[in-house]
Amino acid sequence: MSFRRKLLLVFSVSVALSVAAVAWLVQEVTRKAFEETENQRTSQLVGQFQREFNRQGEEVTRRVENIAASETVNRMGAALNGTSADSAEYFDLARSLAESHQLDFLELLDSRGMIVSSAQWAAKFGYPEPAFQILSPSAQQPAFLKLEQLQDSTALGLFTVRTSAGREHPVYVVGGRRLDKTFLSTLNVAPEMRVLLYQNRGETFSADLLVNASATSGDARAAEKLAPLVDAVRRSNQEMSTPVRWSSDRADEEIFHAIPLRGLGENRPLLGILLIGQSRRNYVELSRRIKDAALLAGAGGIVLALFLSGWAAARVTRPIEQLAGAAQSVAAGSWDTRVQVNGHDEVSQLANSFNQMTTELLAQKERLVQAERVAAWRELARRLAHELKNPLFPLQLTVENLIRARTQSPEQFEEVFRESSQTLLSELANLKGIIGRFSEFSKMPQPQLQRVNVNQVLRGVVQLFQAQLNVPGKPAIECRSETDESLGTIAADPELLHRAISNLVLNAMDAMPQGGKLTLLSRREPQKVVIEVADTGTGLTPEECARIFTPYYTSKQHGSGLGLAIVQSVVSDHGGTITVRSQPGKGTAFVIELPERPELLAEIAESRAQHAGEPVRN
Amino acid sequence: MKRTGLQWLAISVLLISALSANADTRPQYGGTLHITTSMSTSSLDPAEMPDSVGARNLVALIFDTLVIVDATGRPQSALAESWQSVPGDRGVEFHLRRNVKFHDGNPLTTEIVVSSLRKANPAWNVTAAGDVVSIESAGAIPELLQELSLSRNAIAKRDATGNPSGTGPFHIVDWQPGKRLVAAANEDYWNGRPFVDEIDIDMGRTFRDQMNALESGRADLAEVAPEQMHRAVSQRYELLRSSPVELIALKFAKEAASAQEKASRDALRLSIERQSMHNVLLQGAGQPSASLLPTWMSGYGFVFSTEPDRLRAQQLRDQIPGVPSFTLGYDNNDPLARLLAERVALNAKETGLSVQLNASATELRLVRIPLASCDPWSSLLVLNNQLGLPPIEAKAHSLEQLFASEQSMLASGRIIPLFHLPLAYAAGTNLRDWTVMPGGKLNVTGAWLKSSQP
Repeated sequence: MSFRRKLLLVFSVSVALSVAAVAWLVQEVTRKAFEETENQRTSQLVGQFQREFNRQGEEVTRRVENIAASETVNRMGAALNGTSADSAEYFDLARSLAESHQLDFLELLDSRGMIVSSAQWAAKFGYPEPAFQILSPSAQQPAFLKLEQLQDSTALGLFTVRTSAGREHPVYVVGGRRLDKTFLSTLNVAPEMRVLLYQNRGETFSADLLVNASATSGDARAAEKLAPLVDAVRRSNQEMSTPVRWSSDRADEEIFHAIPLRGLGENRPLLGILLIGQSRRNYVELSRRIKDAALLAGAGGIVLALFLSGWAAARVTRPIEQLAGAAQSVAAGSWDTRVQVNGHDEVSQLANSFNQMTTELLAQKERLVQAERVAAWRELARRLAHELKNPLFPLQLTVENLIRARTQSPEQFEEVFRESSQTLLSELANLKGIIGRFSEFSKMPQPQLQRVNVNQVLRGVVQLFQAQLNVPGKPAIECRSETDESLGTIAADPELLHRAISNLVLNAMDAMPQGGKLTLLSRREPQKVVIEVADTGTGLTPEECARIFTPYYTSKQHGSGLGLAIVQSVVSDHGGTITVRSQPGKGTAFVIELPERPELLAEIAESRAQHAGEPVRN
Repeated sequence: MKRTGLQWLAISVLLISALSANADTRPQYGGTLHITTSMSTSSLDPAEMPDSVGARNLVALIFDTLVIVDATGRPQSALAESWQSVPGDRGVEFHLRRNVKFHDGNPLTTEIVVSSLRKANPAWNVTAAGDVVSIESAGAIPELLQELSLSRNAIAKRDATGNPSGTGPFHIVDWQPGKRLVAAANEDYWNGRPFVDEIDIDMGRTFRDQMNALESGRADLAEVAPEQMHRAVSQRYELLRSSPVELIALKFAKEAASAQEKASRDALRLSIERQSMHNVLLQGAGQPSASLLPTWMSGYGFVFSTEPDRLRAQQLRDQIPGVPSFTLGYDNNDPLARLLAERVALNAKETGLSVQLNASATELRLVRIPLASCDPWSSLLVLNNQLGLPPIEAKAHSLEQLFASEQSMLASGRIIPLFHLPLAYAAGTNLRDWTVMPGGKLNVTGAWLKSSQP
C-alpha cells in the first residue's frame, strides 16, 4: 500500500472516529440531560400530586367535619341513640348531604359501623362498613386513600372520617372524593407528560381500572402494555420505572415511573399506582438529529479527508517520491542526481542529506576512479616492467656477453655475435609482441551493431577451435553445444562477440590441460539472451573470481591478463553483463547476458532499409 | 227587645257560618284539572294500550265499558243497563243503555259494541241481536263481567282512519301522543256532566317531577311514589292510596334450562331480604310479599314466607359449580327499581351469587306488574298469560284451586315476588271529591275544583 493511500486511510479513520466519538459524547450528554430533566419533572409532578392530595384531603376533611357538626347529623345521632331503629328515614340523607357538600362519597355509620345511609351505594344500608375497624375519627387523622366498593365497580378515593360531637353513640361520617380524571386534570402536567392512576383491584391487570386524564380511543387496548410495570409494582410494592413503547416507532416510547399508593391498615395495602409517563419523543428525535448530523459530518469529513489527505499526501509525499526517484537514479548509476530542497522540515532535511550523500558519493567515486586509475597505471607499470624485464635481462646478458667476447675472446666473437644477434632479435621480437598486445587492447573498437544470431556465432567459434580440441598427443576436450534454436536475433557486433566467446573458449581450453568437457550454451530469458561457456577444468578460487576481470590480472603462468578484460569490455559495450561461477577442481562457467534491445533492432532494420532503398518491414 | 236582638244576631251568625261552610263543600262547575302521570302512551285506542293503572285511568276518562267493578269487586252497570246468562251458561247477553252517544255524536249501537269487543277479544264469539249483545265462548268464560270491566274492553267507535271515539265523560281536545292529553267535559255524558270543564294530563313525568309540579301549583293531582307518601302527607297534600295492587317482582324471561339453573334461581329467591327493603327503600309502603296475589285479595298471601333463608340458599349455591351469575335488568327511569335491584344484587352477593345490573337486560328483570283486577282469579289468569305459562286448568274457581294455581306458577321459577305496592295520588287542597278505587283506578268524574276567588 502506498504511503499516499495509508495517509488517506489514516485521515479517513481519524475523521470517522473523531466524529463518532463526538457524536457519542453529545449523545451521552444529551441522554444524561434528558434523564436529569425527566427525574426533575417526575419529582415535581410527584410533589404536585402530593400537594394536591393534601389540599383535596384538607378540603374533604373540612366538608366532612361540617357534615359531622351539622344539626341534621346530630339530630340523626340523637334519634338513633346507638340503635338501628327508625334509621329508614335517614336512608337518603347521605345522598342529599353529599350533593350539598359536593362530595363524591359519603356514608353515615352508626356507632357499630353499620351503614345507615350511603350516597355512593344507596342499597348498602344496614350492611357493615368493611373498613370500620381501621377508621380513626381522630381530629388529627388526615385524609387517607381508600378503595371504595360500588355497585358495579370500585373507585379510589380520598377519605376522611369524623364523628358527630357529644354523643355516647356517635354517628360516623365517612366522606371522600374520587381520585379520578377530574383530580388528575387538576395537576399541571407538561405537554409531553401524562399522569395515570391504576386502581389496584383483582388478581390481574385490567385496562378498565386505569384512570387516564387524557384518554383517547384505543388507549384501553394499548394500556395492556402497562401491565408488566403494574404487576411488578404490585409484587414489589415499591417505586420503579420502565420504558413502554407503544408502537414500532422508537419515538413512540414513554418512560413510566410508578409510585405505589397505600391505604390505611396494618399492612398498608396497595390501593393504587400513580403512573407518570414522559414521552421520549423529543429525546429520540434529538438523538436522531444528532446521529444524522454525525453521519453527515462523518461523510463530509471523510470527503474532506480525501481532499486533505490528497493535498497533504501530495505535499508530504512529493519530496519523498522525489527522493525515492533520486535514490533509484543513484542506484542506476546517476550519482550526480539531486533533489530539490524546499523548507526546513524533516523531509527537507532528508533531501538535503540525500544531496550531501550524492555529492559525497560523487566525490568518493571520483577519488576511487582516480585511485583505481593510479592503481591501474601502477599495475600497468608493474606489468610493463615485468613484461619488459624478462626480455631485457637476456638482452642485457647478450650485450654483456658480446662485450665480454670482444674483449676476452675475439676469436669467438664472430660466433658469439651471431648467436647473440639471434638472441637479440628474438627478444626484440618478444618485446614487439608485448607492445603489440598492449596496443591491441588499447585499440578496442566500438561495436558495429547489426542483427546477429547468437547460435551462429557459437557454432562459428566451435568450428574455429574444433581442430585444437582434439590435437593428437594431447588429452582430448569434448565440446558440447546446447543452443536454444528459438532464439531470435539481437543487436550486436558479430566480430567482437566472436572474439569475446573465443577468448572464453581459449581460457577454458587452458583450464583443461588434462582434457575435459567444454559446454557452450545459449538460452532465452525475458528480454535477454544468455550465453554460457563452461569447462570442467581446474576452477578458480573466490578471490580469483573477484579479480578475474581486472585488466592484466591472470591466474595463468603465461597469460597477459587482458583476455577476460577484453571480454568484459565487449560485453559491457553491448549493454550486457558477464559473471563467473566456479569451484576449484570442478570447473568454471562464464555467463554472458545480452539484452535483446528490440528498439535497436528496429533502428538497424530501418537503417539497412534506407541503405538498401527498400521499404521498412515490420 | 234587647234580648230579641241578641237572638237575631246569634241566628244570623250561625246562618252565615252555615252558608259559608256549605259553600266550601258544594261542588262547583268549571276549571281545568291538571294531572301529571308517569304513564306514557302513543295511542288512545283501548285495545292497543298496554295495561297499566295509568292507562286504565286514561281510558276511563274517554271511554266506557259495559260494566264496571265497584269497591267491593262486584260488577255494576255502565253502558250495559242489564245482563243475563245465556241459557246453558254459554255466555252472557247484555242490554245496552239507551240514548248514549259517542263524542262524535253517533249513538251507541250493538254493532259498534260488537266490533269493539271483537277487536279486543278475537277469541270471543260476540253477536248482536236487536238491542242485545251476546258474548259466547267455546269454553266457559271465567269471570266475564270482571273481564269486561278491564280497560282493553272499553267500547270504542273507530272511524275510517282508525281513530277511536268514546262515550266517556271527557272528549279529546288535544292529543300529543306520549306527552299530553287535553280533554273537555262531555256535556251529554249519560252519567251526568263532569264538574270540571277540562282535564289537562301531562304524561311521562317522574315521581319527582310530579311532586315538583304539585308543589309549584302546575298540577292539581299527581301520582306519588310509595316511598314518597310520608313526604306528601307531611306537606299536607291530600293523599289517597289504593290497596296494594302493583306487584314488584323479579321476572325471568324463560324457564330454567337445567336443574343447576333452577337451583340458582332458588338460591337467589332465598337470599332476598325483603323486610329491610320494605322499611328503608319503600319507607314502609306496601307489603313484602312472596306471593303473586296480595293477601287482601287472596287471603292466603302470608303463607308464602318473605323471610330470607340464607343457609338454604348457601346450600343450593354450593351444589352449583362456579359462581352462578345473573344479569338483572330494570326500568332505568324508575329510581326505586334501581335501588331494589341493587339491594337484590347485594343480598345475592352475600350468598355467593353474582348479580350484575344492566338496565337493558331482558333475561331477568325487576318489573312492576299491575294486577289486572281486584278479582284474584282475573288477576292471576292475566298474570299467568303475561308470564307465558301454560293455561290454568281450573274446573271451579275455589280458593284451594286459586292457591294451588298460584303455587304452581311460583314453582315454575319464572317469577320471584318481592312486594305488593299500593298506588297513591296526592292532590292540592283545591281539588275536591276525587276518589281512588281499591284497584288503583282514579275517579275524577265527580271531582271539582274549588275556586280560589271568594
